[in-house]
Amino acid sequence: MSRPSDLVQGTLDLLLLKILALEPLNGWAISQRLKQVSGDVLQVSDGSLYPALHKLEQEGWITAEWKASENNRRAKFYSLTRLGRRQLQKEAANWARLSDAITQVVQIEKV
Amino acid sequence: MRMEHWFYTLPLRLRSLFRRPRAEQDLNEELQYHLEQKIEEYVAQGLTRDEARQAALRAMDGIERRKEECRDVRRVNAVENALRDIRYSCRVLLKSPGFTAVAVLTLALGIGASTAIFSVVDAVLLRPLPYPNPQQIALVWEQSSRHHRMSVADPNFEDFRNQNNTFANLAEYAYWTSSISGGSEPARVDIAEVTSGFFDALGMKPFRGRAFAPEEQRFHGAPAAMVSYRYWQRYLNARSDLSNFHLTIDGSVYPVIGVMPEQFDFPPGVAAWIPREISPGTERTAHNWRVIGRVRDGVTVAQARADLGLIARRIRAQYGNKVDLSDAAVLTLADALVGDVRTALLTLLGAVGLLMLVACTNVAGLLLARTSARRKELAVRAALGAGRLRLIQQFLAESFSLALAGGVLGVLLAAWAVRVLPAILPSNLPRQQGLAVNAPVLLFALAAIVALAVSLGLFAAWRAGRADLQEALTSGARGNTGSGSSERFRGLLVIGEIATTLVILIGAGLLGRSFLQLISTSPGFRPQNLITMEFALPIPKGQWVMEQTAMLRQLHLLEDMLSRIRAIPGVETLGLAGAIPVAAGDDLAEGDFVILNGQKAPTNYDEFGRMARNRFQSGHAEYCTAGEQYFRTIGLPLIRGRMFGEQDDWNSPHVAVISEALARERWPHQDPIGQMIDFGNMDGNLKPLTIVGIVGDVRARGLDLPPPAIIYVDYRQRGMNPNSAPTILVRSAAPAGEIITAARGIFHDLAPDVPVKFSTFAEEMSGWLADRRFLLLLVGLFAAAALSLAAIGIYGVVAFSVTRRTQEIGIRIALGADRAHVLRMVVGEGARLALAGVAIGIAASLIITRLLSSLLFGISATDPITFLGVAALLSLVALIASYIPARRAMGLDPNTALRYE
Repeated sequence: MSRPSDLVQGTLDLLLLKILALEPLNGWAISQRLKQVSGDVLQVSDGSLYPALHKLEQEGWITAEWKASENNRRAKFYSLTRLGRRQLQKEAANWARLSDAITQVVQIEKV
Repeated sequence: MRMEHWFYTLPLRLRSLFRRPRAEQDLNEELQYHLEQKIEEYVAQGLTRDEARQAALRAMDGIERRKEECRDVRRVNAVENALRDIRYSCRVLLKSPGFTAVAVLTLALGIGASTAIFSVVDAVLLRPLPYPNPQQIALVWEQSSRHHRMSVADPNFEDFRNQNNTFANLAEYAYWTSSISGGSEPARVDIAEVTSGFFDALGMKPFRGRAFAPEEQRFHGAPAAMVSYRYWQRYLNARSDLSNFHLTIDGSVYPVIGVMPEQFDFPPGVAAWIPREISPGTERTAHNWRVIGRVRDGVTVAQARADLGLIARRIRAQYGNKVDLSDAAVLTLADALVGDVRTALLTLLGAVGLLMLVACTNVAGLLLARTSARRKELAVRAALGAGRLRLIQQFLAESFSLALAGGVLGVLLAAWAVRVLPAILPSNLPRQQGLAVNAPVLLFALAAIVALAVSLGLFAAWRAGRADLQEALTSGARGNTGSGSSERFRGLLVIGEIATTLVILIGAGLLGRSFLQLISTSPGFRPQNLITMEFALPIPKGQWVMEQTAMLRQLHLLEDMLSRIRAIPGVETLGLAGAIPVAAGDDLAEGDFVILNGQKAPTNYDEFGRMARNRFQSGHAEYCTAGEQYFRTIGLPLIRGRMFGEQDDWNSPHVAVISEALARERWPHQDPIGQMIDFGNMDGNLKPLTIVGIVGDVRARGLDLPPPAIIYVDYRQRGMNPNSAPTILVRSAAPAGEIITAARGIFHDLAPDVPVKFSTFAEEMSGWLADRRFLLLLVGLFAAAALSLAAIGIYGVVAFSVTRRTQEIGIRIALGADRAHVLRMVVGEGARLALAGVAIGIAASLIITRLLSSLLFGISATDPITFLGVAALLSLVALIASYIPARRAMGLDPNTALRYE
């Protein structure tokens, strides 16, 4: 499964969970929201979004439902499950730890 | 957590599996939506619709690849692959219908036969008895110092009951065949007398009515009878109001107070139970009672046995020679019920297991041949990157399809067999009513299917895995003929198959020869054209000693019956006896008698007992009442002395005739004629008997046992007492049915209340032989099936090798090899396999058939004639099986053979 090279392994899951924690969205809306909130820094290719979403669905973290979209067409809306919420907390904590550690390493000035 | 996970994901998995098109459609639609939104975006940015579409597709980075990635995360690929494999294997199997049919039928035979036999084993041996906590129910016997089990005497039972601390319940019972009237018609059925605690020991309550009340369960208590469900259905019209039913059993009247539930069947087949309590003052050697009990919770049967054994030794220490017991025997009810048939059933299971092995080997051989032929296909698959596991999976799918098809057919076969079996099952096989294809039986079949599928699949994969890819791909046209190594391996399989077949055949042969020995054993008389009429004379209950008036009345009735039956046209001779030999063997009364040697006859049973304990003036024999005509009718010769005569009546000295066996055994160097004996313990009459004659031996206890010592007494002197089952034997060449119809009328005239069982001696004998015949029939069938499978196996190997060697044989013939030589060469190949198989099979049989010894009669478990005969038969079949392909090889035209590819 290909992943965007500029995303650390596993962070796409975190981003998706976080976005869906705010409100249920369809795939297209998710990709728009990603761009919007990260100010175009985090580029997730359209192609890799769906396998990632399907994987989260198969893990039982998000669940999908067909609903009318904003332009009144049938679209698949994803929302977070209870399991997903727990997973989000875990991954967010992980991320915090990891980014702290990396920040510290990067800020070392002399050995 | 786990649960919650499945709560969300299970529906998805199921959807991906079973609603795959739907899942695909959703996927398409979802991506399509995204694509269209993207296109709209691009159009809004000013691209043309076509350009926008191109750009959107590019942004997707290969839409089909993405779809595949989405499919990959569904995690059902393994299952999908398996389903695909099974579909594929079904297609492959259907492409070679011949192979598939043979393999499926072979497996169906193996699975069907073993499932059917397992259903019998399950019903008889494995299923728990239909009583609460059946493992706590035990039967108890007195045990002699020579480890003989004996029924229990009242005083010993009382000690067992009062002194033990391992049994929650202990009860006495006894049963016998008698007649009941008072139902819709009189019936000749089994009746049991039981002491209090009997039903509690089995843990069952009546299904209608009430249990025995305390006032009925004491010595000389109020009469009451409990009836079986079947009796209630058949003779009491299944009425729920029992108050009007009064049964007459052995001359006494009992009100019916309850009906036992349908599954209650102990002692097996009993129709009515009446209460009985211990009579005071009985001797400690009166072994008249069977004992059943329920051990307390947490107590094992072994502990119970140790406990009763202690009591038995205490009794022994206290009473010394006045008792026969020196220990107690305790067996669980289940073990006691199946006792004798266990070996026979396990033999059957063993035979069917071997048959299954032969079937499995045969299919393995077929698979091997196919694998060789399919090497190229497999090599291509492997070269294209199919992993080893993936290939194994493919083989498993194939063997699973085969085993499943065979299994379904086999279970159908077993279901049919279970409906047919009761007709041939021996009637003495306990608990056969429960025979059914039920959950445990289906589980067994399923286990067999899975075991076969896995072993065959792994076997084929293992053999295929050994093939060299390179060689397989490059070996050109010859790729389909198989390598020498796989052919050698098939040879090994066939050797194993022949060896296994030989074991079954030898088992069947030994059983068959035993059976032949048995039916050709002379019972000591002419059993042909004998009609038997067994009836029950009303003997007043509690009248052990017959008074002269009662006896004269009885004699009068008997004489009437005999003279009227004698007058039926076609009757040649007829006689009366108190038991029929062979068939009724186990019912014969037996006991110790006293040789008077000039002493005065004992006047009471204490004295009799004292005298009988002196080994030098006592003996042991069976007791049989008979009339003079009886000997002539069944054809027992008088060896010496005289028969009963007119002069022998109630007032004259009582006489006895003894069997040769007794004369040989007890008076080896003396003349028994003229000896005075007392056998009063048998019929309650202490008047001594004078031995006046010696008659030929009869195998009274069964053809497989030596003729016992018998003392015959004259029924006109001793009466038909409770130790006799009066039977009229008629010898007639006329059709049995006509005589029986006429006799039935006579019985109806003279004694309408007396139930009679009409039969022929041949029928009684065949009933006695039924279980042996059943075992022989089934083992014989299995042996025949195994033999044909082995023949197919040998044929397959030899024919295959002939095909492979067509060119070689062609060259040999072209170079001038004569055809007889070719024939010898090919047949020799089969013969070598057969020889190796037979040698191994004989070695294995020498060990295995020892397990059969208890089922054999008249031959040893290593009977050389059987071994040689079976080995010869199997070799002959092997030769014929290889002769067919050999003839083809012999007839090869060298011209075509050389071009054969």
